[in-house]
Amino acid sequence: MLERGWDVLQHAAEEAVRGLEEAGINFVSGLPDGWQRNVHELVEDNDNFRYAPVCNEGVGFSMCAGAWLGGMKSALIMENSGLRVASEYIARISLGTGVPVTLLCSYRGDVGETEHWGIPHGIVAEPLLQALRIRYLIVRRVDELRTAIVRAQRLSEAQLHPAAVLISGDCVWDDGDGR
Amino acid sequence: MALDRNDWLACLAAALPDDCLVMSTYIGAVSFEWAHHTEEHPRTGHLGQMGDVIGLALGLAMALPHRKVVCLDGDGSVLMELGQFVAMGQHAPDNLVVFVVDNGVYESIGWGDAGRRPTATAGRADLASIAASCGVPHTADVSTREQLDTEIGLAFSRNLCSFINVRTEPGHSQVEPRRTDGIEDKYRFVRYIERLEDIRITGVPPQDLGLMEDPEPG
Repeated sequence: MLERGWDVLQHAAEEAVRGLEEAGINFVSGLPDGWQRNVHELVEDNDNFRYAPVCNEGVGFSMCAGAWLGGMKSALIMENSGLRVASEYIARISLGTGVPVTLLCSYRGDVGETEHWGIPHGIVAEPLLQALRIRYLIVRRVDELRTAIVRAQRLSEAQLHPAAVLISGDCVWDDGDGR
Repeated sequence: MALDRNDWLACLAAALPDDCLVMSTYIGAVSFEWAHHTEEHPRTGHLGQMGDVIGLALGLAMALPHRKVVCLDGDGSVLMELGQFVAMGQHAPDNLVVFVVDNGVYESIGWGDAGRRPTATAGRADLASIAASCGVPHTADVSTREQLDTEIGLAFSRNLCSFINVRTEPGHSQVEPRRTDGIEDKYRFVRYIERLEDIRITGVPPQDLGLMEDPEPG
């Protein structure tokens, strides 16, 4: 049984990074959030990744797309609020041109959310992904995270369009069942 | 004082090293005239749109750090996403040089003088200063041919992340529009980079590479 808090985040982050490595992803951009901050740390310290943090997820998406054009496999890590920010450039670049990027989103506002500010993120996330024609997996168990990332990256490459993994609070909440 | 866009793009095209890559805005006079002066050479990806051209070029430059990457954008596009400057200053790849056609107007929204609307650079916004304050190592605000020649010379004689804002006279394209779309432009650019770098960019299914132990049928 994992300790609460930090160890839970770390365990989920380690599984996510295993997934990114197994998927062959080697360029990671993103903006840190409370649930995936440990992923950013692990990626930054891992020589298998070129890490490019940004202060705006839309810029991060453009950079991921540019890196793919240069032969890298890219992923964008963000809270689902960042999906709204990135959506303008996902539409312009990927709907218009066909560029794959794997999206790894914390699913704030999923059933069980405790923060009022997370509710709008949960309301918008799935309809927005559907509007952008982005297939996605919702992960509520950490032991499914690695495989979900591999599957999303594989689909993204095959369709030359983003695919997403939504990481629910069940993976990181103290009372979550997904640890 | 400002330069004629078609003339200065011709100067930049003439100075462009054969082994560099270019990320250009996708629509409008800049793309049309650049394509004309470079004879639609596939080293240019006409893939950027409003607000994402520098970001695309930045990612490309970071993916290929040994390769000079030139970015060609317009003031309206740059203004849409100033966060690109922050990322450019933060990561500052030595191999990236951004040239911006700053004509102070949204050129493509209407025909003739009456059709244009001013951008913020027609007022007090100064793109080179913004870039400098975001940490871009070299910035310049160019309004004469002599300054342009100097900056083009520096761009291709050294490795330093640079942002060159070129004050440009408004005016619609002096050449025919391009006819390709983003899909065709992407494949042409990707295939060129694959040959240039001897890499594969678009994927081969993993089962065809023997990487899946239990491939799914079909």
